[in-house]
Amino acid sequence: MKSTALVLLMGAAVAATAPPAQRAGIPAATFATILPPAPGVATVHVDAFELDRTPVTNAAFAAFVRSTPAWRRDRVARVFADERYLAHWRDASTPAPGAERAPVTQVSWFAAQAYCEAQGARLPTWHEWELVAAAGPDTADARSDPDWLQTILSWYARPASDTLPDVGGAPNYYGVRDVHGLVWEWVLDAQSMMVSGDNREQGDPDALRFCGSGAVTMEQKENYAMLMRIATLSSMRASYTSKSMGFRCAVPRPVPR
Amino acid sequence: MKKWSVMVAAALLAAACSPQNPPATTVAADTGGSSKGDFGPPQGEPVEAVLTSPPHVPPPTNRHAPAKVIVNLEVKEVEREIAEGVKYTFWTFGGTVPGSFIRVRQGDTVEFHLKNHPDNKMPHNIDLHGVTGPGGGAASSFTPPGHQSQFTFKALNQGIYVYHCATAPVGMHVANGMYGLILVEPPEGLSPVDHEYYVMQGDFYTVGKYREKGAQPFDMQKAIDERPTYVLFNGAESSLTGPNALQAKTGERIRLFVGNGGPNLVSSFHVIGEIFDKVQPEGGTHPQENVQTTLIPAGGAAIVEFHTEVPGNYILVDHSIFRAFNKGALAMLAVTGDPRTEIYSGKQVDETYLGDKVASLAPVAAAAEAKSTGTLTKEQQVKAGEVLFKGTCSVCHQESGQGIPSVFPPLAKSDLLKKTPRRAIEIALNGLTGPVTVNGVTYTSVMPPMSQLNDDEVANILTYVLNSWGNDGGVITKEDVQKVRASTKRPEGAAH
Amino acid sequence: MMSRLFAIAALAWLAVPAAARDSDPPGSLYRFEAKLTSQDGAAHGLDVYRGHPVLVTMFYGSCQASCPLIIDTLRATERAVAPKVRARLRVLMISFDPARDTPAALGEIARTRHIDTARWTLAHAEPADVRTLAALLDVQYRQLPNGDFNHSTSIVLLSPAGETLASTHALGHADEALLKRLAQ
Repeated sequence: MKSTALVLLMGAAVAATAPPAQRAGIPAATFATILPPAPGVATVHVDAFELDRTPVTNAAFAAFVRSTPAWRRDRVARVFADERYLAHWRDASTPAPGAERAPVTQVSWFAAQAYCEAQGARLPTWHEWELVAAAGPDTADARSDPDWLQTILSWYARPASDTLPDVGGAPNYYGVRDVHGLVWEWVLDAQSMMVSGDNREQGDPDALRFCGSGAVTMEQKENYAMLMRIATLSSMRASYTSKSMGFRCAVPRPVPR
Repeated sequence: MKKWSVMVAAALLAAACSPQNPPATTVAADTGGSSKGDFGPPQGEPVEAVLTSPPHVPPPTNRHAPAKVIVNLEVKEVEREIAEGVKYTFWTFGGTVPGSFIRVRQGDTVEFHLKNHPDNKMPHNIDLHGVTGPGGGAASSFTPPGHQSQFTFKALNQGIYVYHCATAPVGMHVANGMYGLILVEPPEGLSPVDHEYYVMQGDFYTVGKYREKGAQPFDMQKAIDERPTYVLFNGAESSLTGPNALQAKTGERIRLFVGNGGPNLVSSFHVIGEIFDKVQPEGGTHPQENVQTTLIPAGGAAIVEFHTEVPGNYILVDHSIFRAFNKGALAMLAVTGDPRTEIYSGKQVDETYLGDKVASLAPVAAAAEAKSTGTLTKEQQVKAGEVLFKGTCSVCHQESGQGIPSVFPPLAKSDLLKKTPRRAIEIALNGLTGPVTVNGVTYTSVMPPMSQLNDDEVANILTYVLNSWGNDGGVITKEDVQKVRASTKRPEGAAH
Repeated sequence: MMSRLFAIAALAWLAVPAAARDSDPPGSLYRFEAKLTSQDGAAHGLDVYRGHPVLVTMFYGSCQASCPLIIDTLRATERAVAPKVRARLRVLMISFDPARDTPAALGEIARTRHIDTARWTLAHAEPADVRTLAALLDVQYRQLPNGDFNHSTSIVLLSPAGETLASTHALGHADEALLKRLAQ
């Protein structure tokens, strides 16, 4: 972990290096987003960044907890993680046997962000995540493919399982795995969802409730896969944990000389 | 409200004082809606609401004052069978589709606790149609898995109301079974009945075909296109049939709370073999009586009441009938008791029925048979001719042979037939256009050629005519007709 | 550049003196060691008003719509409580626009709006801390391309030890439930 931080600190001074094996390089892009950056603005620009190829595993998170005991489930402040934080682990620093390579869940936003910061990274923003999630196996944007959509909706239809499978599913266009079909994932700006919990309020925001220019209205209402991600994220407060919520880390790509 | 009732009273008085005038139209007083539904703060200890799973309904509240009612409702995502061998993941309120039945009284303050089980994957909320307030509660109850939300509302309007999840995308949450009913009793309660049951229709959309086995996921495109795979009562094909049928005895009063969760279809609710003595259409306050089939909107409900008289199985259907027989919209009410044949006898007689045409053509067939064997008698010809005459000629000449004055000449006591009976053959075969004098009256009309008749038929008809209504009698044979047919010309358009 | 900031923030986040943290109740927001600078340039943590009940909110200085209303709402809340309670009550307003709301800019706002700085603090937070503070206070915000912010309004009442006693989204008037908690 420390060596990665050092490499990144030096990143500004050296030419851009290839991303480490556990991360994929995602090129900058401008794309139509379901969460407009400002009311009425349909596209957003995302700078190039690197994203973990898989969600963070129980084993990786256990290493973090062992080196940073403040994040043990028997030490963490309730304000940073709720009662069910890591409840499924065998003990405060050991995952359930056999679950080492499964994605870690029942972690709060604070815990996820602390882990990423310890790697010299951070949680991906919603738009960075959305850019990667829009990809199919062979294309950068599979969102109008009904089969892609149906696969995702089928996952939503299955109840949450007690034992999650290991990470490492088929890679998408960017070489990133398990974006769909495994767990929900935290994003950095979970605090910026600003959509009403009631689906039918879209388009009629209370002007004072969200100061500035009113609440953001979600576009592309037929893009149910993304809609449900936003609904899930906006229902969670930063200290909440969930059996189906995991995370992965991102690093903004160093700018080459 | 006071002013209104004074006006109504005045109108009634006026009507009473002037009996010779028709009484003023009396308008049924209304319940006043939500502005009259606040009976003040809750009294007494808070009450925990009794919630029931379908098809059962909680007992009447038997309250006479507004109370604080605590409702604890849990959302659970459950995989179970939607049809035999077909598994589906339902999202449920209280573990069932439809969700638990909630019963409160108008004016109650309801403290609603919505819990989202930690094993669930999705956030959920609830919109109760009986709530006056933004979103029906949805904005205040948005709950992620492993958490619970609470909000409080006062039930200002009496009635039967749908509740459902309103989390994006709403259609998918509803299509997966997230709906149920809440009854807000009128202050005086509902009239007593012997059984109350809870039935709710919904449409379901699976990737596979109807009854295609295995675990079936939800099909969003079919839902958008409104092409359901299943239309079901209470969330499964066998939910209310066979051993799960609703039960009652003869001589009982039944009340059904019937909801329609949708998401898309409207229901034409009907109970085969019963008539609804009372229907509160759309669940409203004033009943209609004597209704066969009632419309229940998507996101709506109705209350129906009927009295059982005759034992048997009564089938509940959506009368858009292909849904009942091809998509599963069938439920059953099994009524036991002594038969009452004076009301319904069951099948009394079963005999062969030949239908009009077959019975009456018997003489014609008999005559043809006899002709072929050379045994044809005048009586047989007359009988056959009568049948044929009634089917063809009586239209104009009338069954009595009288014709119609100035239009169609009579055949009864016809001097033309008396003088030239053989001319009848020619007229029958070739028709007659232009003036003809019968019994001193001239008729100028058109008789079309009866070219559809064959020789036997013409012979039998004419034999009948000659022997009826005081005519002189005689026989026309098939050979007679053949001769005339051969020696005269058919007019244009005749068959042969 | 950003990654270096993150690395520093990470170390700051994790290298917390055990004593200060463990003495706070588990639900206390003061367990988060924020780096705030008030309008008079003094540096302190989130617990600037430790020992007092404090109303905490987030805003940004160039806000034209609800932020002036937030100040009015806070004042209305102060007026609505008994004088004894008011004497102990404090107010902390944290900006989520650290780039523009420097301590000097915050001082200007305090002067223009006649803020009683004996009992109110307008604070500038380190950029890396803004998001965490918003998460703790359950405030949603998003910066727009023109530099303005979309944000929800949240006024949180903290106990003298930093635990959340009540919170409200009501604007323009004092929140009844919050007032009740203050009276206790």
